[in-house]
Amino acid sequence: MNVIEATRLGKRYGSTWALRECSLAIPDGHVAALVGPNGAGKTTLLNLAVGLTTSTAGTVTVLGGAPAGSPVARDGIAFVAQDAPLHKNLSVTDMLHLTRNLNQRFDQGYATARLGELGIPLDRKTGKLSGGQQAQLALTLALSRRPRLLVLDEPMASLDPLARHDFMATVMAAMADDDVSVVLSSHVLAELERVADYLVILSRGSVQVAGEVDDLLASHRVLSGPDAEADRYAECLDVVHALHSKAQTHFLIRTDGSINPVPPGWKARPITLEELVLAYLREPGAASLPGPMRVRFAEPTEVAQ
Amino acid sequence: MTSIEFSLDPTSGVPTYLQLVHQVEHAVRLGYLEAGDQLPTVKDVVASLAINPNTVAKAYRELETKGLTVGRPGQGTFIQSTLNPVALPELSGLQRSLLAWLATADTAGLDEDGIVALFANALREFRDRRSGSGVRRGAASDEAEGVA
Amino acid sequence: MTALTTPAQPGLDASARLVPWRRMAWVTWRQHRLALAGVVAVLGAASVYLYITGEQLRHQGFVSYGAGPGLSLTAVLFQVIPPLLGAFVGAPVLARELETGTFRFTWTQGFGRARWTVATLAPLAVVVTVAAGVFGFLFSWCYGPQIDGKYVLSPLAATTFDLRGVTLAAWALVAFSIGVLAGILIRRVVPAMFATLVAWSGLVVVTGVFLRRHYEPPLVTSNPNLPSGAWVISQQWTRDGKPVSLSVVDQVLRQIGATQTAPGHCP
Repeated sequence: MNVIEATRLGKRYGSTWALRECSLAIPDGHVAALVGPNGAGKTTLLNLAVGLTTSTAGTVTVLGGAPAGSPVARDGIAFVAQDAPLHKNLSVTDMLHLTRNLNQRFDQGYATARLGELGIPLDRKTGKLSGGQQAQLALTLALSRRPRLLVLDEPMASLDPLARHDFMATVMAAMADDDVSVVLSSHVLAELERVADYLVILSRGSVQVAGEVDDLLASHRVLSGPDAEADRYAECLDVVHALHSKAQTHFLIRTDGSINPVPPGWKARPITLEELVLAYLREPGAASLPGPMRVRFAEPTEVAQ
Repeated sequence: MTSIEFSLDPTSGVPTYLQLVHQVEHAVRLGYLEAGDQLPTVKDVVASLAINPNTVAKAYRELETKGLTVGRPGQGTFIQSTLNPVALPELSGLQRSLLAWLATADTAGLDEDGIVALFANALREFRDRRSGSGVRRGAASDEAEGVA
Repeated sequence: MTALTTPAQPGLDASARLVPWRRMAWVTWRQHRLALAGVVAVLGAASVYLYITGEQLRHQGFVSYGAGPGLSLTAVLFQVIPPLLGAFVGAPVLARELETGTFRFTWTQGFGRARWTVATLAPLAVVVTVAAGVFGFLFSWCYGPQIDGKYVLSPLAATTFDLRGVTLAAWALVAFSIGVLAGILIRRVVPAMFATLVAWSGLVVVTGVFLRRHYEPPLVTSNPNLPSGAWVISQQWTRDGKPVSLSVVDQVLRQIGATQTAPGHCP
C-alpha cells in the first residue's frame, strides 16, 4: 500500500506553480523524508496530502487509494504542522478533550500516560508550555488518534537538540509499536540519516529524487582522483555532481553496480545520505527516480508512468 | 532486561545497522554476551537511540542469518551461539602485542589520527588480499568495517 | 502503550463513519464561551435597563420625556448592539483559526473542515439571532405606546424601525454573517471586526436612505390629516391627480392675485 501517491500533481497560487507535474508513490512501513530548499513545495505537497488544500492539476491519494481530505483519509492521518499549532488559551486537558471530540478514535490512556512521562502538567494553558513541550503535546495528540500515517511538517525546526532527540524517539517508538508510517519534511539532514529509509527530494516544485535510502546509497559512489584526469572520465561516468579541490576532483556518480566504474588510480568510497542530498540540491537538473527512466546529469527529468 | 547498551557513531561512515551488528558480535566475542542472553527489544533500542525501527530489524535479521541469534516469537531475540570465540589467553596475548606496536608507532612520531589511518589502510589491504584470494570468511572479514 | 481495539484499516473500509455532530457541542461552547457570555452580559444589562424604564413609563402614564434619557437617545445607543454582536461573535470564529494557524490542527481532525464550520456557526447564529430577537421584543414592549404614534417617534423612523422585534434579530444575523465573511476574507481578527462594523454601517445607510421606502407601495393621499407616525416620503402639489411643478403652482397663485405670502398664511 502506498501511504501517499501523487500523479502529476500540481498546485498553483495565483500565477506561480508551487508544485508541478509531481508524481511519487511513498510505500507504507517507512519513514519517508521530504527534503528540499525553501519554496520547493514541501509544505504544499503535505497540505495537499492531508486535505488542507485542493490540487490545481493531477491527483493525490492516501492510505492505499483514498482521496486526500476524504473522511477515510482524515480518520487515518494525523498531521502536525510547522511550529505545532495549538489553541494557546486552552489547557492541556481541554486540548485532549477537544481532540477526543473531533475524532473517531482517541486513546485517552496513552495520552495521559505519555504526558505524565513527559512531565507536562495537565492544567496548564498550552501557550505557557515550552517549545519542546508544545511539540511533544502536539505529537501526543496526533499519536493518540491511532493513525495509520503520521505527517510532520518541519517538526523540529524550533526545538533544541535534546528536545529533537526526544521527539524523534517518540515517533520511532510509535512506529515500532503501532505500525505507524511516517512522512516528514525537514531541513536537518544529519538527523535524517538515522531515521529516514525513504527519501524524496523536491526541487522547484517537482520530484528530483525518490527512492529507498538503501537503494540510493547503494547506487551512488564518490570517486576521487587527480584533477588532470577528471575531464577524461567525466564523459563515461554518470556524474551527478563534481567537486574540484586543489589537485583532486571528487565525482559523485550513479552506478548500477554491474560494472566497476573506478578508473585506475582513483579511489571509491560509499556516500552518506547527507552528501547525496546536498549533491542533488546543488544540481537541480539531475534526478534519480524509480523506474526504467534514468536521467543523466543536467538534462530535464521525465517521470516514468 | 538488557545486557547491551548500543551506541552510534554518526561520523564513522558505517551504516547504522552494521554498527549494531558489530556491537553485538563484539560483545559476544569479548564474553559480555553469552548464549541465552536476550537482546533489547526493537522498541527499546529505537526509544533510546531515536533511529528507524526498520534499521534495528535489519540488524537483528542479519545477526539471525549469521546464526548468532535466534528470534523466539512473542519473547524476543536471543543469543544462540558464540562464533569463533577467541580463547582468553590468546585475546590477552593479542592485546599485549597490539600495545607494543602502539608504543612503537608512538615513538616513531605517529599521532592518534595517524595510527588510525595507518591501521584502517592496513586492514583494507588485508581484507582485499584475503577476498582476492577467493576466501571469504563471513564474520571475520566484516570485522574490518567495525573498527573506527 | 495500551492497545485499543482498532477499527478496520482505513484502506479497506471505504465508508468511514463520520464523527457524530453532537461531539461539537462541547467544542463550540468551550471555544466561544467568552463571546457568548459577552453577548448575554451586554444584552442582559440592556434588558434590565429596558425593563426598569418600561415599568417607570407605565407607572407615569407615558408622559413623554419623563423617563430616562429619552427614547431617541436610547434608540440610537441600542442600535449598535447587533453590529457589536456581529463583530465580536462572528468575526473571530474563522479569523482566529486562520490567524493563529490552528486551522492546520482543527481541520485535519476526523470531524472535517466543512462540518466543523457548520457545527460552529449554526449554534452561534441561533444564539445571536434569538438573543437579539428577544431584546427587540423587549424594546417594543418598553417603548411600545410611545412609538405607536401618539407621542414621540414613529415606528417607521430610521432609528426605531431597526430596533423592533424581528428587525433587530435580522440585523443581528446579518451583522454576524458579515463578521464571518470578513473573518474568512481578511483572516485577521481585529481587522475583520473593524471591517464588519464598516460594512454594517454602510448597509444600514443604504437600506435606510434608499431601500426602505420601496418595501411597500406608498399610500398616495390628498388628505392633509395624516395619522401621526406616518412616514412622509414626499409631498407634491397636484392638479387633476397629476403632480405639477412649482412654476405651474406659481402661475396659479398669480392668477388669483396672490402676492408673496409668508408661509402659513391663507389668502
